[in-house]
Amino acid sequence: MTHNCDTCPAHAHLAQMGIRLGEGSRLVALAGNPNTGKSSVFNALTGLKQHVGNWPGKTVTRAEGGFAFQGQHYKLVDLPGTYSLLSASQDEEISRNFLLFGRPDCTIVVTDATALERNLNLVLQVLEITAKVVVCVNLMDEARRKGIEVDLRSLSRDLGVPAVPTVARTKEGLHDLVRTVAEVIDGTIATKPLRPGHPPDVEAAVGEVATLIEQRVPGIPNARWMAYRLLDGDSRIRQALESGELADLVAAQGTPAERRATLVSLQGRQ
Amino acid sequence: MANPFLLWRRWRDARRRTAFEDVLKHVLTRTIEGREAGVDSVAGHLGFSQKRVLHLAVEMESAGLLRSEGARLALTPAGEKWATQVVRAHRLWETYLANEAHVPIEALHKPAEAAEHRLTPEQVDALDASLGYPRNDPHGDPIPTASGQIAALDARAVTSFPLGQAAEIAHLEDEPAALFRQIPEALRPGTVVRRVSSSPAEVTLSDGAREYRLTPLVAGNIQVVPAPEAKADPSLAPLSALALGEEAEVVAIGPGLRGFTRRRLLDLGLTPQARVSVHLDNAFGDPRAYRVRGATIALRREQAAHIFVRRHGVLASA
Amino acid sequence: MTDPIARADQLRASLPAGFRDQVVESLYEEAHRIAGRSVKTGENRRIDFDQRIDRLVTSPIFGLPLMLVLITGVFWLTIIGSNYPSQMLATSFFWLEDKLVAWSAAAGAPAWLTGFVWNGVYRGLAWVVAVMLPPMAIFFPMFTILEDLGYLPRVGYNMDWLFRKAGAHGKQSLTMAMGFGCNAAGVISTRIIDSPRERLIAILTNNFVPCNGRFPTLIMLATIFVAAQFPPAVASVAAAGSVVGVVLLGVLFTLVVSAVLSRTVLRGEASAFTLELPPYRRPSILRILYTSLIDRTIFVLGRAMLTAAPAGAVIWILGNIDWQGASLARHAANFLQPLGHAIGLDGVILLAYVIAIPANEIVVPTMLMVYLGTGMMSDVTGYDDIRRILVEENGWSLLTAVNLMLFSLLHNPCATTILTMWRETRSTRWTFIGALMPLAIAFAVTFTVATVVRLLL
Repeated sequence: MTHNCDTCPAHAHLAQMGIRLGEGSRLVALAGNPNTGKSSVFNALTGLKQHVGNWPGKTVTRAEGGFAFQGQHYKLVDLPGTYSLLSASQDEEISRNFLLFGRPDCTIVVTDATALERNLNLVLQVLEITAKVVVCVNLMDEARRKGIEVDLRSLSRDLGVPAVPTVARTKEGLHDLVRTVAEVIDGTIATKPLRPGHPPDVEAAVGEVATLIEQRVPGIPNARWMAYRLLDGDSRIRQALESGELADLVAAQGTPAERRATLVSLQGRQ
Repeated sequence: MANPFLLWRRWRDARRRTAFEDVLKHVLTRTIEGREAGVDSVAGHLGFSQKRVLHLAVEMESAGLLRSEGARLALTPAGEKWATQVVRAHRLWETYLANEAHVPIEALHKPAEAAEHRLTPEQVDALDASLGYPRNDPHGDPIPTASGQIAALDARAVTSFPLGQAAEIAHLEDEPAALFRQIPEALRPGTVVRRVSSSPAEVTLSDGAREYRLTPLVAGNIQVVPAPEAKADPSLAPLSALALGEEAEVVAIGPGLRGFTRRRLLDLGLTPQARVSVHLDNAFGDPRAYRVRGATIALRREQAAHIFVRRHGVLASA
Repeated sequence: MTDPIARADQLRASLPAGFRDQVVESLYEEAHRIAGRSVKTGENRRIDFDQRIDRLVTSPIFGLPLMLVLITGVFWLTIIGSNYPSQMLATSFFWLEDKLVAWSAAAGAPAWLTGFVWNGVYRGLAWVVAVMLPPMAIFFPMFTILEDLGYLPRVGYNMDWLFRKAGAHGKQSLTMAMGFGCNAAGVISTRIIDSPRERLIAILTNNFVPCNGRFPTLIMLATIFVAAQFPPAVASVAAAGSVVGVVLLGVLFTLVVSAVLSRTVLRGEASAFTLELPPYRRPSILRILYTSLIDRTIFVLGRAMLTAAPAGAVIWILGNIDWQGASLARHAANFLQPLGHAIGLDGVILLAYVIAIPANEIVVPTMLMVYLGTGMMSDVTGYDDIRRILVEENGWSLLTAVNLMLFSLLHNPCATTILTMWRETRSTRWTFIGALMPLAIAFAVTFTVATVVRLLL
């Protein structure tokens, strides 16, 4: 049951819809457009048998599972498939708020190699929120069959985060994916996310508000994105800024132990 | 609890508030339109007796909301603030109904008339935020900002717009409702029209696809502004007009697509400069599927009609 | 220090009206640039092939007939495929029942215990498994193949126009397709519809798609009453055809009820429709088998068995406790008889429906168990025996069969679906409407048919 907890202290605020993080386990979020095989990636990694129908939006409940890699436990959260993170629809709100308030150690954005351009829209938006991103270029087999070649080095270079080719159905490339995720979390791979500028007048406004946010919450990693969300009128961000929840989030970033103990949660669903 | 006298008082207060607000709104609207408001116009517009309006006017004047200057009624700053808040609630509620609940445009006015008296300023602010701070309501009227500013609407009746020139519909007068219902469904704010011909009995408008014959009275309720260059371009076509297999480049998404629908289409990659082609037909002719940015997206004709494209030619494979 | 929120509010007003559009636009420009550098598109034979299939599947001429042929084919395969296994299962289960009763009696168990456990609980379970398992084990994999291929969105695409006319959403047909498996799943899948009004319509009408719990009833009736009218060579096709006919009638009711709802209590225009048609994907056989057999078949069967066991017990108790010279089941059936007769059914059928409220799957077994009373189940080994029991011993006519098919299609959703409706809407009022509206329609339709037929004959 949901209890609406707009007024609780920030840490407790995260504790709805509990995703229980074990001691020392790492939290990985799985984002992506609908129909990119996101659920297949999830199933292949966790061994869970969540059904994957070939129709848009079939992931109607959020799924979570775990896997181990090199003795390290990982918790994987499958976010709803969305085309964007900008609108007020429930699915997008869930994904957006999880990436922000759930503070995953790494986010995998699953993309469809046969429609990369459309999928990059979401990738660019995720990069605005968090730097710890691995792009999973899935459905490489379909792309090959359709004569589409993807230059992953060029893609990684442009995006500033690693891009890994996979065929989730046959588990091809998944080992590389997990290793890359581990390396991004460890810092072995340093990411430098592409954050393209906005149109000039929006850019000026974003810059100004971002500076104000940085003054208010020093050390915030995604002030520009927050600034744009405020301009857009996102009431959740507004409230998080007003209540000091954002400052708490930033403060907690340095203390992993404290973070692990927290029940991370999602808002808004069931 | 259910003290009949208390209930009656509550009802009377609500009724009085509604009457106050209706008067305030009327005076504000007339002022913006540059016309005078007086006891007569209030009585005519609201269907009140002269006596009742006079009574109300005295009451409102002593409450510091109205000033009477001879026969003319004017708003005090407090009255203007209140009136603006009512207009804001009305237009935001209409926007909400049209964008999120998909209520047809001719059915917006009545529920908004009720909601404007019910919504608290806090609720109105929350509504504004959740709608993403829209600037115009579905009729094209500017929505007052939280601080009470109303953008000027620089529109004029299509009947006085030069013949043959491209004009974009900016506003549809929704009162009286009987006239509003006669405005064809295709003519909505954002649509580009040209006045083809005018006679005392009939005004003919064209949206490029069809011609619409209206009485001058009905046409007079359609207010337009000069169409932006991109949309005045006759080489542009709505996506729905393309033939199967035809390829084109998106130039603009018309203002007829609003709210969540507009965002969803943009998110799917239907942004200016995107290349689209008509991919699939359908037994009923509607919806059709389009290829855009490597994906196949099905759209209904209603939506595709608001996406303006420049034709490229027919794909070889079609 | 300036408040960022207040400053953002100020700046927002100064930005051009379409600034959000411009932001998405510039994101896509960047995406286009990046993709242009890293993606090379070669020859497109595969795309052409996909397109040709798509053109056929959604073709103005062949699209809809192809849909009908596909669905008829699925039902036909289900009917012919499940007939023999069902008989075999029934024969062996009831042979075992006799043995178990004899063994239990020999071991000195009291007669009421033997009857309660073996003739009640066990018999209920055995029936449900025998009647349901084979059709589901055939239907679900085929349905899952269509789902994984990517055919369902094409169905939504083909049907959208009809739903728009009914003031509903094109994705409603996707939720209906899920309803074939289980109406509760169908109700949950309505989450893909964004507009609350249209989602509510989809929830309220999902019941008009016969779920897997109701298919066995339809298949049995089609086989016994419809197929019997045709020469054996085409009998199974005729049976499948009549099941498809019932399904189409369900679609018709969905559309009509949706249209009525969106013109009355749920007034509003159809909202925007954007549906991505995903590329066709080769289904993975293992996953399909896993999904359809474990996730779906076992799940639905398990649920049916959970309700069948207590239902079997209830029926045994009702059938074996005598009061004033007749069993309680008889009394209940007699009490319901006038109402049953008025709608072209009988008291026993209605009693079966009352007992089967928890799950529709057990209607036929319940009915047969009440008809048979304390009789030997092992006598019933196939459709011929069922036919004999229904027609010769209990006076069923073609009207009974037709009205039972109608009633089965239209009547109230099962308890699980009702509960799901409540969970999804959080509204007691809409849940009530969702449960009672179909029931009222079912009574009205069957009563009309019965009255008209009786007047004409």
